[in-house]
Parts: sequence; structure tokens; C-alpha cells
Amino acid sequence: MTTYRITLANQNDETYEVDHRRPLLESLRERGVDLPYGCKYGGCITCAAKLIEGTVNQQAQVALNNRQLANGYIILCVARPTSDCTLEIGVESHDTLYRNPFLDPLAPHELKADIATPKEEAP
Amino acid sequence: MSDNGEATCCGPGYASPADAMQAPREKILYTIAIYTGTGIQKPDYLCTIDADPESSTYSQVISRLEMPGIGDELHHMGWNACSSCHGDAGMERKYLIVPGVRSSNLHIVDCATDPRNPTLFKVIEGSEIKAKTNLSAPHTIHCLGSDIIISMLGDAQGNAPGGYLHLNKDFEIVGRWENSMGDIKFGYDFWYQPRHNVMVSSEWAAPNTFMPGFDLEEVGHLKYGRELHFWDFEKKEPKQTMYLGEDGLIPLEVRFHHDPDSSHGFVGAALSANIIHWWKDNADEWQWEKIIDVANEPHPEWPIPVPGVISVILLSMDDRFLYFCNWLHGDIRQYDISDPHNPKFTGQIWMGGLLEKAPEVNGVKVTGGPQMIQLSLDGKRLYVTTSLFSTWDNQFYPEIRTNGGCMLMINCDTENGGMEIDPDFVVDFGKEPNGPSRCHETRYPGGDCTSDIWL
Repeated sequence: MTTYRITLANQNDETYEVDHRRPLLESLRERGVDLPYGCKYGGCITCAAKLIEGTVNQQAQVALNNRQLANGYIILCVARPTSDCTLEIGVESHDTLYRNPFLDPLAPHELKADIATPKEEAP
Repeated sequence: MSDNGEATCCGPGYASPADAMQAPREKILYTIAIYTGTGIQKPDYLCTIDADPESSTYSQVISRLEMPGIGDELHHMGWNACSSCHGDAGMERKYLIVPGVRSSNLHIVDCATDPRNPTLFKVIEGSEIKAKTNLSAPHTIHCLGSDIIISMLGDAQGNAPGGYLHLNKDFEIVGRWENSMGDIKFGYDFWYQPRHNVMVSSEWAAPNTFMPGFDLEEVGHLKYGRELHFWDFEKKEPKQTMYLGEDGLIPLEVRFHHDPDSSHGFVGAALSANIIHWWKDNADEWQWEKIIDVANEPHPEWPIPVPGVISVILLSMDDRFLYFCNWLHGDIRQYDISDPHNPKFTGQIWMGGLLEKAPEVNGVKVTGGPQMIQLSLDGKRLYVTTSLFSTWDNQFYPEIRTNGGCMLMINCDTENGGMEIDPDFVVDFGKEPNGPSRCHETRYPGGDCTSDIWL
């Protein structure tokens, strides 16, 4: 079994060895980490966390727009680690997750993947 | 009369809207409170609030029923029975069905055995609903005689349009209620009027679109609704769609007249901040028109004017007054709709909101704006709460995380029109025992203005 080391930066750098095949929410909750969650299929954003270092596979998520992805957010209920990772968890990590959509609109390339258009390169 | 004010000779509810208005005053309220999305790792819960001014615990939460798990996002709820089975002595308005939008769990709560301390009777797991019906994200609940139908806003993966879950009176899943969703793109609220063989349904968005929060750009990409659907109620299939366009962006709460003979109804278009009225004309054709248009308001820090965002509408039991909330502006309005084509603006109060016209009310900082409302059966007391939906709260009113929501009571003048905030009633959800929570929909044990339908 491949395992990766997950470090929780805003939980005194606690570390956990987890199975790479299982979603992080499941693995971490099983180990007693108290995490928020809602839909458990990658659609509702409640379990969002910030990936500080490392890589995950979160192909199944449909909650995040491209700006949230660029800001490092991952959806723990579907994200599986593909390397050792450092995370910030819980609403303390949600500083750039929510924005007033009227004051801070998204550029076309920052929308969700299914409707985003590629960013135009500067000439 | 029984303890909850309903006649004991027959089934639940009342013989007519006029009878309902004669019921005793509501003594307790049931209100949703949530921790989902707040950072507090506790279950959402159902509050019982003392609404009896003679009681020593008036205007306080007197009991709290926690759900079994976290992350449900309790939202709307509905009774197992209402006046639609008034003639059935075998039925009783005993259970509140309290769904979790995010978890899809349905909590069946016994409110009759001890009305001041409701208890959990049964849970229908979201996983069972998904497996048996491929539906998720429960929203509106209406009983129909002894059956129950629930609008489900998504399929099991959170894609639109979802459909309707059918439960029997023992809370067993019968299956899908509808025979077809036709070309309907999204689901949200619905109301039926059987004497016209019609149900009207409105449109929010796919759960995967609205649950993570509101991206304004997605409206332009047609990810949010702008249509109203008229169903053949007996055939359980949509018959006609009204395209509301820019006048009807995000049509949410649907209210028919309580008078079962009337064909008039109303929907609030949240983003357009309009009230849309529909009716059946002399040729038996359904017509619609915009009757109220709330102007966007300038804001010192906004590059564009702020839309009202009409998050809810409600009709008084006598169908004379229409109430609605502008969640972003911070006002509740009252219109006399005796002539439904020509509403008269008769009352308004301010509480919270982004325009900051009334940041503090009754000694409590109001975070959020007026959102869910429930009117007493006699039309004189309107209870209002401030939270809309956890992710949307976090976008527009981030301070609600530390301040929590609040509930106020508005005294409504049913003679001449007019509204005033009651100075002696306030429930501050910022001071809940487990930390600040957010309050949402309210229902009364004896039925209310958004539950009861007459056949």
C-alpha cells in the first residue's frame, strides 16, 4: 500500500500517514481529525481546505472555480493525495474561498472549468 | 380544540382559510438553526422558541433538538399533514420533515408528543434516497392528503434538474412523484392548486452550482433559472413554461392564493428583484405580468447599484397582503394585493442589510438581512430570520460567522396596512450555547401561511 504523509499546518503540524487510494476527508476523520463536510461527493465546498505543498487528484470535484483552484483550494471529500502534502484545514483556511461576487467579479478564465475560457496571453 | 389549536372533530388543519384565521395565537415556534459552514463542528438543530408573551421564557429558545450528524445544512421544512387532509380523522399534524440540503438526509421530528421538546422519530438517509430515486438536495415539502412530495434540486451527483421525491404517510420512499420533468432545467419551490389541476414550480440552480456559493457570471452562462413551470397536476407532468427572461432571474418562492378557487399566484424573482403575478384568464389561458420592481440602490463602496435580492415572499391567510424581503437591501415590504394586478405599497421596516439603514435593532447587531419570514394565521405577527444559505451568507455577510443570526417579530396592521418591529421580541442566535449559529425557516404547530393548502 502506498501511503503519503499529510501535515496539518494550522493544527500544530500534526502529521498522518494515509492511504493514497482514499479521499483525505475519510482518512483524516478516521484518525480523529475534526473536519467540516457536507455532500461527500465533491459538490458543496463545505470541506474545502488549502493545499500549501504537495499534489492531489481531485478530478471528481465540481464545487471550485478556477480562481479558488489557483488559490490552492482542494475538496477533501474527493481529493486523494499523489504526494506528501501540507494542508490548512477548516474555516480558518477559507480566507480567500468566499468573495462578494458583485465587488470582485471573476475573469472568464476564473470561472468553473465547464464554462471557463482560456486566459488570453499578453502579446 | 386540541393543544395546538386545531379542531379535534376532524383531521388536521382547518376547514377553510377563514377558519384558520380564527385559530388561537401561536405559543411556540419551530426554527432551524445551523452550524454548517460556520466553523463550529456541531450538528444543525431545530429550536423551539417561546412566543407566548405571558410566559416567563418569552422570546427565548426553550429547547434544541440536534440532528444526528454534522453538515446537513437544514434549510426548509414541512409538516406531514396540513389542511389538505382536514377531512381525514386518521391523520394528525404531528411530524415536521426537516431535510438537510447538503447531506440529503430527511429528519422526521415528532412535535406533537411534547410540543415544547420535539424528538427525532426517524431519519431517511440521503444515501437511501440517492440509491432508490437518483435524487439529492431536498428543498420544499408539501403534503397532499396523506402523501408527501418534496422538491429535490439535483440528481445523486448534484446535477439539475432533479425531480420530486414521493413519501407515503409512514415516511417510506414510494419513488419519484413526477411522471416527467419535461424540458425543465432547474427545480426549487412549488405550490399546487388542485381545483385548477395545476402545480407551479420555480427555478434556482443545480446543487453543484448554488451550494459552493454565488458566482454572478454563472447567471449569464444560464446556470441559474429564469423560467416558471405550470404542471398538469393529475398527470404529474409539466404542461407549459413561462420564460420570464431578465424580469425573472432566479425565481424562488412560489405562492398561490390560499383561496382554493383562485388561480392567482405570485413568485419573487430574487436577482431581478421583481414580483411576478400569474392567473388564468377568461379563455382558460395562464398569463403572467411583473407587478413590483424593486430598484437597485447605490452603495458608497460598490461600483454598481445593489440589487434587492428578494429571497422570500409570503401571502397572508386572507390573500390580502403580500410580504417580501430584500435580503441585500435590508427591508421587508408589505403590499395590499386586494387587486393582484395593482399592488399598493402599504408598509416597510428596515433591519440589517448592506445599505446599513438599521444596523442594530432591539439591542442586537443584525448581521445579514431579513430573509425567511413566517406570518401568524391571523396575519398580525410576522417572524423574520436573517441567514440565507451558509455559503451565500459567507460571501455577502462574512461577520455572521462571529455574530450569528437573529430573529425579530414585526407587528402588522391588518386594518390599514403598515408594519412595526416589536420592541420586546428578539432572539439573538449569536449567544447560543455552542456558539453563534444561523437561523432560517420557522413553522408553527398549528399550521402557518406557507404550509396549508385546501383541496
